[in-house]
This record gives sequence, structure tokens and C-alpha cells, in this order.
Amino acid sequence: MKFSSIKTMPKNVVRDTLKSIERNNLMSAASILSVIAALIILGIFLILTINVSELTKDVESRLELKVFLQSDFTDAQKLTVQQALEDSDMIESVTFESSQEALDKFSASLDQYSSLLSGYNSQNNPMPASFIIRVKDPNDLEAVQTLAMTFKDKGVEYVKYGEEYVQVLVNFSNFTNTLSLVVLVVLSIISIFIIYNTIKLTVFARRREIGIMKYVGATNNYIRSPFILEGTLLGLIGAIVAFLVIRIAYYYVLGLLSGSSFLPVGTTLASPDLVMGKLIYFFLIYGGLIGAIGSIFAIRKFLDV
Amino acid sequence: MIEFKNVTKSYEKNKSDALKNVSLFIDKGEFVFLVGRSGAGKSTFIKLLLREIEPTQGSIFINNYNIANLSKREIPFLRRKMGVVFQDFRLLENKSVFENVAYAMEIIGKSEKQIRKRVPLALDMVGLSHRINHYPHELSGGEQQRVVIARAIINNPTILICDEPTGNLDPETSYEIISILEEINRRGTTIVVVTHDREIVDVMKKRVLTLEDGALTVDDAIGRYGYEV
Ligand SMILES: Nc1ncnc2c1ncn2[C@@H]1O[C@H](COP(=O)(O)OP(=O)(O)OP(=O)(O)O)[C@@H](O)[C@H]1O
Ligand SMILES: [Mg+2]
Repeated sequence: MKFSSIKTMPKNVVRDTLKSIERNNLMSAASILSVIAALIILGIFLILTINVSELTKDVESRLELKVFLQSDFTDAQKLTVQQALEDSDMIESVTFESSQEALDKFSASLDQYSSLLSGYNSQNNPMPASFIIRVKDPNDLEAVQTLAMTFKDKGVEYVKYGEEYVQVLVNFSNFTNTLSLVVLVVLSIISIFIIYNTIKLTVFARRREIGIMKYVGATNNYIRSPFILEGTLLGLIGAIVAFLVIRIAYYYVLGLLSGSSFLPVGTTLASPDLVMGKLIYFFLIYGGLIGAIGSIFAIRKFLDV
Repeated sequence: MIEFKNVTKSYEKNKSDALKNVSLFIDKGEFVFLVGRSGAGKSTFIKLLLREIEPTQGSIFINNYNIANLSKREIPFLRRKMGVVFQDFRLLENKSVFENVAYAMEIIGKSEKQIRKRVPLALDMVGLSHRINHYPHELSGGEQQRVVIARAIINNPTILICDEPTGNLDPETSYEIISILEEINRRGTTIVVVTHDREIVDVMKKRVLTLEDGALTVDDAIGRYGYEV
């Protein structure tokens, strides 16, 4: 008996839900608008976050830490340092670069001016040997540096990592992540509250009906479902509209930027397809969830009795 | 089958009890009137049956099942065994007669085929076939109460509970309603009717339970209206 009730439910429920949205059109519109507003603000932060993290990832992938060895290091020292570095779980990979290799690399990078280095050979090579280290997480750069520095005077001369701006970028990326999270939480609470109030009106308008449903033996889930559906639908409609607005705006801004030299050289905005692909799923799930949660709160009180 | 064992209900601590140590047994297929002054505890009795409220003391059995042990989830299934009719009808204004009755079947998940088959039968039983597509505001009080009765019996309840079903109706219409209830009772449904209608009680010669200030004072097998006004 319980199972058969699920089968026929959707039709009645969908019918009643659509009627209800229509009946409460003003509050429904207000709910949808609030979801749209919340999602547009969220969308802006998300796009910022996605861009910054793409940018950071890009830079991070090129990020190395170099541990330079003293010119008179011994093989034993080299082995100890390499062992210690390889044992650390912060480190992705350790590659040794001998001073000859460093010189060859430098010379190759000079291209047609490589003759400038022609006076140097393996006897008077000024390039130090080094370990090239890739870390797993750029936040660990400093810790790895500290680790390598413990071998100072045990073969290690000094440690050098990326330019200043890398650290700044990493910090900024962390900051935008945190900020987005805060904005997400705050806006979610506001949206849930507005949907909660809309659905409460619906519930109140239909309290007679709810009473009758109970006397005829409707289960709580049956009574709840049209309200949850209504809230979810409001959230989804808001999500779709907000997505379209964001999409149009993003492509517009992209068009403006591509004609200017505003962006730092060598960087690009995250590909719009990538951003929009991520965003639409997030918006739909978020809008639906916010709507459902708001309605569940709204109906809870009326279900007792 | 309904059984009350020493049931007491008090709403507030400092007020006197709405029901006082009430014990009674109503067998399957009985037709019972419940009478008493305003405030005697009649609606309280019905709310207890529907598990809208719980007794302060004592236990209530419906079909041999102690309904105090019901979990919240099980209450709807208890109510599916009982039809309810109220003085104020409680129809949905934006649904037609057919839809109002069909609603009770939709809620418990009956198929559309079953609904299309059974709703006209129930409306025929209460003599309302010709009003099937009308809306509640287009109907007289007596007609509305017929719709409510059709809705209450559509799922074949074992018990039909009526709280002043004729309270808003003229005497002639009241008789029509009561005879519909009698017909339903003849088909095997247990019926409990709360009423203030002295004439109907006296004419029907059914069992009468009388409540006075929350206590069951009279239980007459072939009863007459039990208390003087
Ligand atoms: N929810 C409640 N909270 C507090 N007291 C209540 C509540 N419901 C009923 N009572 C009290 O319980 C007593 C019995 O009420 P009940 O509604 O059962 O009477 P009744 O016999 O149905 O009266 P009527 O014929 O007027 O409908 C009354 O004194 C009433 O004031
Ligand atoms: Mg009453």
C-alpha cells in the first residue's frame, strides 16, 4: 500500500505545485529574484575564484625550488641531502642537476649568444650543482626551504624558490577561496530564509487543505512533497536565470578584455567553456538545494498534530 | 471495534479534566450516538480516536490495536481505517465534487482507474450523482455534507466518525443525512455520531452514550437523549 502511493503521487503533486506558484505569484517572484541575486553575486565570486585558481595552478605547475650545493660537496653529502628530500612527503620529485648540466642549459638558453660562455669549461665552471624540487602543495614551499636549509654547511649552499609574485598569488588564491566560502554561506542563509518565508505563506494558505489531508490519512511525506517541490522549483528557476545573466556578462567582459592589454603578460582568463561548464552544475544543485531546505523548514511546524 | 479503558484527558493542569476515567466498548458494526452539553468532552473523545491528541491516562484500542503505541509514521494508516465527517464540512473550495472525493483516494495512492470507478459509486450512494461536476459553493449545506460523507467512506473505512454532522442543517435535511449514515452502517461500517439533535436520537433508537462534564454517565442500548437541557 505504501509503495503504490508513490506511483500516482507525482501527477497530483506537480499539478498542485504549479497552481500554488501561480497563486502566490508575488512571493514566488520575490523568492526567484532573491535566488537570482544571490547566485549572481556568488557567480561573480566563483568566477573570480576559478580564474585565480586556474592562474595559480598554471604558475604552480612551473614552480620549482632549487637547492644549490656548495662547489666542494662530496658524494656522501649529496646522497644524504637527496635521501632526506626524497623522504619528505611534501615533495613531489627531486632531480639532480650537475654543474655541467647547468652550464649546458644556461648556454642553450642564450641561443646565438652562447659564445659568451665559451671561456668556461668543466675546470672553471661557475654554475653550482643543484637539486630541482617540485613540491606537492605550493603552500609548503617555505617548509621545504627550511628543510633544505637544515643541511646548510653539510653540502647545501642556499635555497631559492620562485619569484615573489608566486607567493603573493598563492596567498591571493587562498584568500579568494576563503572569501567565496564566506559569501556562499552568508548568501545561502539569506536565500534559504526568503524561500522559507515564501513557502510558509504557501503552507499557511493551504493549511485547511493540509488539515483535510491529515484526516484522510495522507502521510507526512505526501503532504510535504508539493511544498518541497515548489521550493526546489523556485530555486531552480532562479538558478537558470542567474546563469544566463552571468554567462552573457562573462562573455561581454571577456570581449572587452581581449582587446586591451589589461591582463599581465603570459596569463589568460580561464576558458569560458570551462567556467560555464562548472557554473551551470553548481547553480542548479545550489538553487535546488536552497529551495528544498527552505521548504523543509517552512513545513516542519505545520506537520505536527 | 473501539475500546476505551479508564481514559482521562486533561488539557491544562489547573483546569478540570475534559474526559474523566471513561471506559466503553463499541463493537464492530454498531451505530452509536454520543451526546452531552457543550463542553462535555465530545470533541475530545473524537480527537482521541483520531489520535489528534493523546490520553493523559488510560488506553484506547481500535481494532484490538492500542493506538497509544502508534508512532508518528503510523498515524496516517490508522486514519485510513476511519472516515471523518465534520459539522463545518471541510471541503476544498477550488475542487469540484468529483475532485473532492477523488482527493481522498489520490492521497492514499489509488490508481486513476479505481478512482474513476469508485467515486461515482460513492456519490450515487449519497444521492449526489447529478452534482458531480459542481463546486462546493454551488451546493446547499445538505449537499455539501453528502460530499463529505462520500469522501469519508470512499476508502472503505471500518469506522465512520461524525462530529455534529447535522449541526448546520434543517430538520428534514438532517434526516436525509442520518438515513444515509444508517445505510452505510447497514453495510457493516461502525458509526459514531456526536449530536445535539434530540429528535433524531429519540427517533433512531440506537445506542446512546451521554457525557456530563467529561464523565460517561449514561450508556443506553436503545437510547433516548440522555440529559435534560
Ligand atoms: N485544546 C484545548 N485546550 C484546552 N482546553 C480544551 C481544548 N479543547 C477543549 N478544551 C476543553 O475541554 C472541555 C471539553 O471540550 P470539547 O471540545 O471536548 O467539548 P464538546 O463536548 O465537543 O463541546 P461542543 O458541544 O461545544 O462541541 C471544555 O471544557 C473545553 O474548554
Ligand atoms: Mg465539539
